[in-house]
Amino acid sequence: MIDPVTLHRWVLAGLFTGLATLIVFARMLPLDLTPGGMPPPDAIVLLGFAWVVRRPDFVPVLLFAAILLATDLLFLRPPGVATAFAVIGLEVLRARSGFLRAQPFAMEWANVAVVLVLMLLAERVLLGVFFVEQVSLGLSVYGLLVNLVFYPVVVGLSVWAFGVRRLAPGEHAAEARLG
Amino acid sequence: MAKNRRQSEDYVTPVRRILVGLLVLGLFAVFLLWRIDSPRVERFRAQIVDAVVPNMEWALVPVTKAAGIVEGFQSYARLAEQNQELRRELQQMKAWKEAALQLEQENAKLLDLNNVRLDARLSFVTGVVLADSGSPFRQSVLLNVGARDGLVDGWAAMDGLGLVGRISGVGEQTARVILLTDSNSVIPVTIQPSGQTALLRGDNTAQPPLEFIENSDDVRPGDRVVSSGDGGVFPAGLLVGEVVRGSDRRLRARLAADYGRLEFLRVLRSHPGEVVEDTGGLIVMNPVLAPVAEGVPAEATAEAEQ
Repeated sequence: MIDPVTLHRWVLAGLFTGLATLIVFARMLPLDLTPGGMPPPDAIVLLGFAWVVRRPDFVPVLLFAAILLATDLLFLRPPGVATAFAVIGLEVLRARSGFLRAQPFAMEWANVAVVLVLMLLAERVLLGVFFVEQVSLGLSVYGLLVNLVFYPVVVGLSVWAFGVRRLAPGEHAAEARLG
Repeated sequence: MAKNRRQSEDYVTPVRRILVGLLVLGLFAVFLLWRIDSPRVERFRAQIVDAVVPNMEWALVPVTKAAGIVEGFQSYARLAEQNQELRRELQQMKAWKEAALQLEQENAKLLDLNNVRLDARLSFVTGVVLADSGSPFRQSVLLNVGARDGLVDGWAAMDGLGLVGRISGVGEQTARVILLTDSNSVIPVTIQPSGQTALLRGDNTAQPPLEFIENSDDVRPGDRVVSSGDGGVFPAGLLVGEVVRGSDRRLRARLAADYGRLEFLRVLRSHPGEVVEDTGGLIVMNPVLAPVAEGVPAEATAEAEQ
């Protein structure tokens, strides 16, 4: 007999993997190859952040890292760098999730924004140190802004469509524990 | 029960922290490995893509087709308008067809006069576009032809009209084409009719800029841009596009290939040309086979006899 709490966690981890696969799939569709236009948001990272702030036990760090590393390889990015900083960002947010629980959404958004900005800066500095060719700063800032604008959308979807909510105080005390 | 968990957590947290640290270190190690031995990791990447993308083909193809159908329905709405437009274009095309026929005849005559033989080795493999690069800053597509079809890195890919990009990364069943609009793509081009050479450098926009033009006064918007074949990168004379003046007053190329709907690409089999390695080689390519001063090549003698 499986513990229902564990089962719930596994289902949600499975859902996360499924959503990530869907996102990768959607981005690989060869629909319009004319360059320019809006860069799509890094939906997997945003999804991971939105979930970890609400339910730290729903986003296993290994799963998150494995999915991002796979996308690094598929999407022609320098493998490992973006993933490593995203994992650090995820862990920072996981550590702050207790504090953020009592805060309004604007505070959470600001926290995520700071983490995303620092991730971008750290990645650009590291790639610069290793003389890897990068896209222009303007384009990456544009991508960052798109990410920030899309964060509330991802949060809304997670809360209302997938039921990833913060636990009310006292509700399933066992579930709230860090996994 | 709850107390037990709290206690066990005290052991779990530091261990977990160490494991996460190791994970991050591991990821940086992957990056370092890539930086040090890029070709090996890129081959690994090509293998991963090779393993993943063909498995997704069954899903990618119907969704792409469905999106095409939706687009088709949208265009039905503008049918009358489109019809007018097409009629007008048809009129123009008829005029062009006449011009083309005349030019073709003229061209055939001139070729005949010059006894030109086209390069028979310039054949091609056609592939279907499987997937996009998925990244907003990289412009590339995956084709469903790969090493098993004899593809080699560096070959040129065209759609029906113009050059699209070059092969970069070949898996067993798939190959990646870096498009001309990618910021890593630089190709040598010639601008006709002035014959100026330039570099076409992709910059993630639909109209890549032309750089290092010797004398930009000779270049006008509307001139044709063709690949120059310098450096042995591409066969010479493939149509790339036409010159336009961008909104930033730079000369740019409007690409002839239809980037909005790349479905089939033809990959040109190109063969490395003769390479002159030192100054002596320029005069006598191969001393053993070189004709001696009075010796006329055998074929020429045979022709003379007939």
